[in-house]
Amino acid sequence: MLKLHNLYKVYQTDEIETIALNGVNLEIEQEEFVAIMGPSGCGKSTLLNVIGMLDNPSEGNYFFFDENVSPYSEAKRSDIRKMNIGFIFQSFNLIDELTVAENIELALLYHNMPASKRKKRVDEVMDRMGIAHRAKHMPGQLSGGQQQRVAVARAVVGDQPLILADEPTGNLDSVHGQEVMELLRSLNKEGTTIVMVTHSPAHADYAHRTVNLFDGHIITDNTRAA
Amino acid sequence: MFWNNVKIALRNLRKNKGFATINITGLAIGLTIYVFGGLIVDYERTHDLFFANADRIYTVGAIASPDLNLSFGEVNAVQSALGPIIEAELNDVEAVARSIAIEYLVTMGPDSFYQSIRFADPALLEIFNLDYLHGDSSALENPSGLLISRTAAIRYFGKADVVGEVVTLDNEFDYAISAVVADLPLNSHFNSQLLLDTPFEIVAPIQALSRMQDFDVAGNWTNLSMGNMTYVLLPASLDAAWLETQLNSIYERTVPERAKQVIASFKVNPLTAANTSLWDMIGLPVISVISLLSLLVLVIACVNYTNLATAQSLGRSREVGMRKTMGAKQSQLLGQFLVESLVIAAIAMVIAIAILEILIPQFNNATNKALAIDHLQTLPWLVVTTLLVGLFAGLYPAWLITRATPIDALRETARKGRKGSKMRSIMIGTQFAISAFMLALVAIVFMQNERVKESSYEFPRSEIYTLDRLNVDSIRDRLDTLRHELEALPNVDSAAYASQVPYEQNNSSTNVTLEPGDEAGKFSLQFMSMSPGFLDAYDIPLLAGRPLSHDIANDLRHEDSETVNVIINELALEKFGLSTPQEAIGYRFYNHSEENGSVPEFVVVGVAPTQNITGLFNAERAWMFIYQPDFFRIGSVRITGGNIMETVAQIEDVWDSVIPDYPIQGRFLDDAFNDVYDVLKYMNMALAAFAIVAFSLALIGLFGLAAFMATQRTKEIGVRKVLGANSFQIARLLVWQFSKPVVWGLAIALPGAFFASSVYLNFFADRIHTSIPILLAAGLVATLLAWGTVAGHAIRIARANPVLALRYE
Repeated sequence: MLKLHNLYKVYQTDEIETIALNGVNLEIEQEEFVAIMGPSGCGKSTLLNVIGMLDNPSEGNYFFFDENVSPYSEAKRSDIRKMNIGFIFQSFNLIDELTVAENIELALLYHNMPASKRKKRVDEVMDRMGIAHRAKHMPGQLSGGQQQRVAVARAVVGDQPLILADEPTGNLDSVHGQEVMELLRSLNKEGTTIVMVTHSPAHADYAHRTVNLFDGHIITDNTRAA
Repeated sequence: MFWNNVKIALRNLRKNKGFATINITGLAIGLTIYVFGGLIVDYERTHDLFFANADRIYTVGAIASPDLNLSFGEVNAVQSALGPIIEAELNDVEAVARSIAIEYLVTMGPDSFYQSIRFADPALLEIFNLDYLHGDSSALENPSGLLISRTAAIRYFGKADVVGEVVTLDNEFDYAISAVVADLPLNSHFNSQLLLDTPFEIVAPIQALSRMQDFDVAGNWTNLSMGNMTYVLLPASLDAAWLETQLNSIYERTVPERAKQVIASFKVNPLTAANTSLWDMIGLPVISVISLLSLLVLVIACVNYTNLATAQSLGRSREVGMRKTMGAKQSQLLGQFLVESLVIAAIAMVIAIAILEILIPQFNNATNKALAIDHLQTLPWLVVTTLLVGLFAGLYPAWLITRATPIDALRETARKGRKGSKMRSIMIGTQFAISAFMLALVAIVFMQNERVKESSYEFPRSEIYTLDRLNVDSIRDRLDTLRHELEALPNVDSAAYASQVPYEQNNSSTNVTLEPGDEAGKFSLQFMSMSPGFLDAYDIPLLAGRPLSHDIANDLRHEDSETVNVIINELALEKFGLSTPQEAIGYRFYNHSEENGSVPEFVVVGVAPTQNITGLFNAERAWMFIYQPDFFRIGSVRITGGNIMETVAQIEDVWDSVIPDYPIQGRFLDDAFNDVYDVLKYMNMALAAFAIVAFSLALIGLFGLAAFMATQRTKEIGVRKVLGANSFQIARLLVWQFSKPVVWGLAIALPGAFFASSVYLNFFADRIHTSIPILLAAGLVATLLAWGTVAGHAIRIARANPVLALRYE
């Protein structure tokens, strides 16, 4: 599905040069569930952002469905992104002014989909995530776990084949964390590819493959038998 | 998508009520002023359009000769001799009509009252289509016919059908009403009070003037007053430029030398310009200034919005990041934020229209205008204004916030960095530049007006009671009796008559020479006729010589006088080449005119100090005072001590007993001053209103921004406090953040105000020379107000517990 070839990401501030990704090579197949681990500052989030086309690599090539997207402009990446990739963040990133249903619908808003169809799709997803009774609530009225369920719903509502999750359980207690992981696992079983950054070895166990990063290098890449 | 954006916009407003209130209030005020200004300008510039021939009617005016040293450059009137010449020489002109406004004592039924009457050529009714209720457009062809308006008919006769009723002018001359017309709409130059207080109520044929006074229907080149209008109706194929060329060829060929000294050339104006011609005349572009000021106020309001919205939108960085992550393009997000600013602009516009609906009737009442928001006609303008304001005000914050890459937006880099802070400073600077510019102008105009008022006290204007309308033969015969009886009153010091009183804007002058008939050496002196007691009534002492007297034959000028004793003022000495007042006594000079040659010979018997008789904006001039009773028009009664109102009542009683057949036209000299001064005063009040609104908006904006920035910097302040900064240092830090742009704004505003104020000051002969200290004081006031606005927030934040400040994030 995606292939990173000799990828570098260098952050340049006035005097300091920080190398976040240092020659990363990584290939991820469809329907995989990959956990990315490593200490703080090792480049996990940067890697995820590059995969999510939120950020451009400084050097190297990124093939997404055999298409080299690394030289693409933000507008072009944005088009690929909205059709293919859903995001889940540690801090949920729900919009406070919108209801649960509207937050989820937001992901379809930029898809040129008629309103009636959007609504139907949002209802389906809310049912599946068990948050239909919260449809008219504002994010502020929900618990963290429920908010993250909304965020997951938003990530999958567009039927994107790839979900990128950046520490999706980092802000949750263990019970809610486990619920979210179960949700991701069931999505993966239905065929969605998931790439997840996490600090928690227990949550990493939900994945079939764990990639360990250290100072911008991949140091281990283990695939477990299903 | 659009309605979705509208929904989000409304929710955002609800969530941030404080900022929303400031934003909407600011824009609503700005829009109110802008729309109001636009309506006024449009109203003033579209007068008279309801006349069927409006686009083919022109008025003939004149450019004043620069040698004349008048305070105005042009006048929308010409001498009455031009009309018949146009009629005779220019065959392509469809019609030409003169209209001369003169006040008469009008008797209709049982009532007698003074009213200004328009004496017009019959063609006036051909040029202007009126709505005849009775009679028709031949109303002025009968020399003793009279046209009156419906309001006047009802007021004086109690009914509209008054054709055939008799109207008497000055107790002597009878006219029969030949037509009654519907009242003209208020938005006609005929009704414009500022120009001439002659409502369109009574129109008489111009031939009537020759019956009542020494007036030749062919007109004259000697009298040029604001009431002398000449209207020309051109065929559609000819225009103002054509007429002006023709008229100036007439000027070269026909206009006598004496008149050429007064007017340098003719100027043709379209009828629609007639209403605002007063401003052209005195050279103050009042209408354009209203447009400009109301636009500037709107700009300040927009900048306010832009600034606050920019600061506020940074708090929505995460939302933008999320939307971008999900594939929103910058253009789509721009659209979303612009919809928000459009929603706010639309709400503000609705509020502004509501305010105007309340305000306009009050304004109309106060000013006798008929302004209205014609919703259908103004709708496109209002919609376009709303759109432009929404786009103009919202574009920058929208662009700034949607420009960030999704990852930066999600991390809220924009919010934490200094992005947009330079632009914010520029915007604050701009607001303060504009509003301080206006404030400084107001201050200068105010001080100049005070100077005018100050210098007007050289005449005892609150102690002089004037008696107008003495220029009727039957009254002039009784003036001596009137004077004796008035002076017998206990609190009347003296009573005197003259051809004018101070502050009246009359310019009578006469040509004189040092040698009889010396054409090359002639020069003009301002001329005033006065009775011997005049200088005494005004406490004007003589520098040399003696006052004029009732008892010395040559002191009194009559038609056949060959030698006349006169008093001149000190400034006239220069013109005679004399250096001391004493030298002037016994000095002889000569009249110089086409009719009388060099008769009479004038002998100086007294020299008065130079006083600014026309006052206000005029320069001091060289005057000659002559005792010539047939020029008397107005009396001055000096009241000293006692109960003033009681004395006025006694004066009225004396008048009624001596001149029972004419009503008294009395008022204090103060009122004559205020006639003109009020125009200056109200102009500055209007300017002040603009300035106060502009400055308040700037302060509101600063207040909102300071509140926002204070919360943004809470963490920084906490850290600073933990590191040992005290409250004063923190407050100073916050205040200083806003001081720099304010100071920059002032640096631009004050020189601007200095140059702009010279436009106003140039209008005055006697100018204040202290504009720089006034400007600096205005700047200081603006800075202090800005500090005061910011300091409240700064002190509150600076005093807060540092731990609370740190916990905030």
